Amino acid sequence: MKAYLALINITLKLAMRERSVLFFNYLFPLIFFFAFGQFMGAKAGGTLTRVISMVLVIGVLGSGLFGAGMRTVAEREANILRRYKVTPISPLPILVANIVSGWVLYIPAVLLILGLSHFIYGMPWPANTISLLLLVSVGICTFRALGLIIASVANSMAESNILIQLLYMPMLFISGATIPISLMPSYMQAAAQFLPASYLNSGIQRILLRGESITTTLGPVGALLACMVLATFISYKLFRWEKEQKIASNAKLWVAGVLLPFVLMGSYQAYSKEHVNESKLLDRQIRRANPRLIRGGRIFTGDGTVIDKASILTKNGRIERIIPGTPPDPDDIGAELIEASGKTVLPGFIDLHVHIGAPGALLEKPAEYDAEKVAEHALAAQLYAGVTAVRPAGMLDASLLAASARVNRGEKLGAEVLLNESAAAAAQIPSAASMGEAFQRALAKLVPDGRSPLMPALALRETLDEIRTGTARSLNSTLAEQVVAPAALSATRNALAKPPDFLQPYFHIPMSVQEARTALAQALVKNEALALGTGSGAFAVLHGSAVHQELHLWVKAGATPAQALRAATFEAARAAGVDMRMGLIAPGMQANILIVDGNVLQDITVSERISDVLFLGEHISRQDLFEQK
Amino acid sequence: MAEIVNNGLAISVQGLHKSYGDFEAVRGIDFEVRTGEVFGLLGPNGAGKTTTVEILEGLRQATSGKVSVLGLDPTVQTSELKDRIGVCLQATNLPEKLTVAEALSLFAAFYSRTVNGDDLLKRLQLWEKRNSGYGTLSGGQKQRLALAMAMINDPQLVFLDEPSTGLDPQARLEIHKLIEELKAEKRTILMTTHYIEEAERLCDRVAIVDEGRIIAIGSPREIQQRTLGHSRIEIVVERPLASATPPSSIGAEKVAWSEDRTTLIVSSAHPARAVVELVKWIDQQGVELADIHLKRPTLEDVFIELTGKSLRE
Repeated sequence: MKAYLALINITLKLAMRERSVLFFNYLFPLIFFFAFGQFMGAKAGGTLTRVISMVLVIGVLGSGLFGAGMRTVAEREANILRRYKVTPISPLPILVANIVSGWVLYIPAVLLILGLSHFIYGMPWPANTISLLLLVSVGICTFRALGLIIASVANSMAESNILIQLLYMPMLFISGATIPISLMPSYMQAAAQFLPASYLNSGIQRILLRGESITTTLGPVGALLACMVLATFISYKLFRWEKEQKIASNAKLWVAGVLLPFVLMGSYQAYSKEHVNESKLLDRQIRRANPRLIRGGRIFTGDGTVIDKASILTKNGRIERIIPGTPPDPDDIGAELIEASGKTVLPGFIDLHVHIGAPGALLEKPAEYDAEKVAEHALAAQLYAGVTAVRPAGMLDASLLAASARVNRGEKLGAEVLLNESAAAAAQIPSAASMGEAFQRALAKLVPDGRSPLMPALALRETLDEIRTGTARSLNSTLAEQVVAPAALSATRNALAKPPDFLQPYFHIPMSVQEARTALAQALVKNEALALGTGSGAFAVLHGSAVHQELHLWVKAGATPAQALRAATFEAARAAGVDMRMGLIAPGMQANILIVDGNVLQDITVSERISDVLFLGEHISRQDLFEQK
Repeated sequence: MAEIVNNGLAISVQGLHKSYGDFEAVRGIDFEVRTGEVFGLLGPNGAGKTTTVEILEGLRQATSGKVSVLGLDPTVQTSELKDRIGVCLQATNLPEKLTVAEALSLFAAFYSRTVNGDDLLKRLQLWEKRNSGYGTLSGGQKQRLALAMAMINDPQLVFLDEPSTGLDPQARLEIHKLIEELKAEKRTILMTTHYIEEAERLCDRVAIVDEGRIIAIGSPREIQQRTLGHSRIEIVVERPLASATPPSSIGAEKVAWSEDRTTLIVSSAHPARAVVELVKWIDQQGVELADIHLKRPTLEDVFIELTGKSLRE
């Protein structure tokens, strides 16, 4: 014990006298922190997380591979280790002192970075600082041990340099620490799963972004610890005190050997994809967390209130503030600017009646129907059209639930599926229920039961009328052309004009658009609760464009645009029981926001002129929605 | 300890062999070092001295042979042995920025028993340098620090591997004085050297090692006498002597003339008598004596005689 403490003490003292150690441990991360912070825009909360995890991972890699590895080789080459050889100590205190002193020296750097993030960039102090320090400690000790194993198998400075670079470069560039995992091709993502640094990076991000504790990443932490113990043990076994002692070149395979826990980890991940998905989610969460300033638009808050010329600041996926008058400079707050002057800003639409497993348009290859793909495409189309949440109608079988869960977790982008208990219970029902049956059941729900608001589903009823009369007006919109492939759209138009046999049941559904219009007009007069649901997914009721069609039909039936929009946002959220978090533009609400080009309160058709969609704070790249990997 | 005291042996080596692959570095070495004596292994580089010492220190394993150091088996009771010996290695280094005092306290932490480091520093005249970095020390100071580090555990047995190699004459003298002090403290010392004077001055007994074997062993004087090493007499005369050969009565073993026949070199086992006879004979030849040298044989001469090569190549 005496020997361990003396070695740790001296190693620390020597390190403090070494300018290069101080530079690489403290100055280097600082330079990185400010350079990347400035360059990447760390004022934005999410990006700051990325900057912190990157700086910490680079620091751990540097201290471990270069600090521990190079130093040991240098001491051997300089005949320093040789002097210890004639004393009664084993190599273990030397190895342990190396690891421990590296850890002691690095922790202040971690606190420094966190402190700077807090005081300069306004990051809230991490809820789980202890977990973060523990994880970084495990990381630094593991990488120090990896540095030592490299030192143990390298015969010279040059050899160790090559080995260090072989580990350093991939861990720097494809671990997700510098380049986000979600931007990499899939083979690179798979390769990243074999690298300890990938797990360190995602672990740091999880703790910072979600306030998780280290216990949620026990698998990777276990692999890191296993790696550290293996590396220390093998370094001990292969320890060489003198430069004259050479080691066989095949001993270099030991480096691969000590990485075995991560070979297993990577192989498991190649099959489970858990960690890749987790990393992509973290990337998404970072994008969602970053602030955005929607400047100078006309805001329709959802409950009927209109604020002229105000700005909205979103942060961490929520609406942070509504700023009347002159907004702050977006650069000062690190926010992305979304210019909204001359535009109308609305809460994202909520469609209360959606068949997420039904395609709406005819499938190009009906035989290849894949419920999950159809649902993912449907939800993407909804989001494309500014619908940020949908309530599924009818049954959700296991595959639809799986697709919904994927979208709700953020692995795939699409409108949130509002799942309630009944939908989860429906998961028990096997997917054998035929489309026809599900459709019938859904129709039954259209009848108001007194408690729920009236949901006239004009789009669905008009489509039924069109089938019966052989017309196809509803498909003639720009939005329809954007959410459905041209061939499928024209096939659907043809089928609508000349209904094939499978549409025969539609002729017998005893509901008409006229009846629903009358009910809507009466409800408007009586000021009854109204909510919007389209029935999209049913034949020729297209996901996404149906909401706009519905709004249009409502206005034609006598509603004001404001009444129709309120039913599609605030009232729909209330009806679905999610009004605590969506359906309204107000601080604290989820940043689900639709921006349309023009004054939709005067002309409801403006709703289709979508300029921007924000979903949970993420500024959606709409054209990429249908090409998600 | 008891065992050592009983038979008075600090080190005993029997039939020691050490091979590295095909190369035999040590080819059967036997010797004993008595408690309290200074024993020297003398030989050129590559003779097998360091290999032998490192086996005794427990750093290497012998290929075959029996070794006992302080009554311990170096290959089995390695750390026990290392705890009790002091070692001054030939080529070592310390981190440049480690101070003298830190080096000593660091190494003190490795042993179960230690002496006061400050006293040691004062004694080795390193007290003023105690806060200086290792990198700022002179060669002699570094060697004194190495000696201090070897003494920190108050060892009964000290190994000094080439203790004065690379030092200037002044520093070498200081080291020699310190070793004599250790000797006065009745510590057992095993040193290797290729400096003849060092061995002659410091060692009670010497083993001459060449190509992995001991070719002579004993006190420096014994070795000189036991081997064929004779005194060398050089006589310089004023003018060349034509064809005269000295009489056999002088008892010379070897007689040689320089090319100009003005210098006569004679080696003899009985130099005192030979000189008298030679001077008489030259006088008889009617030639004036210009100069006369008498050189006692050194270990170096012995070494050259035994091995046919020089110690310093």
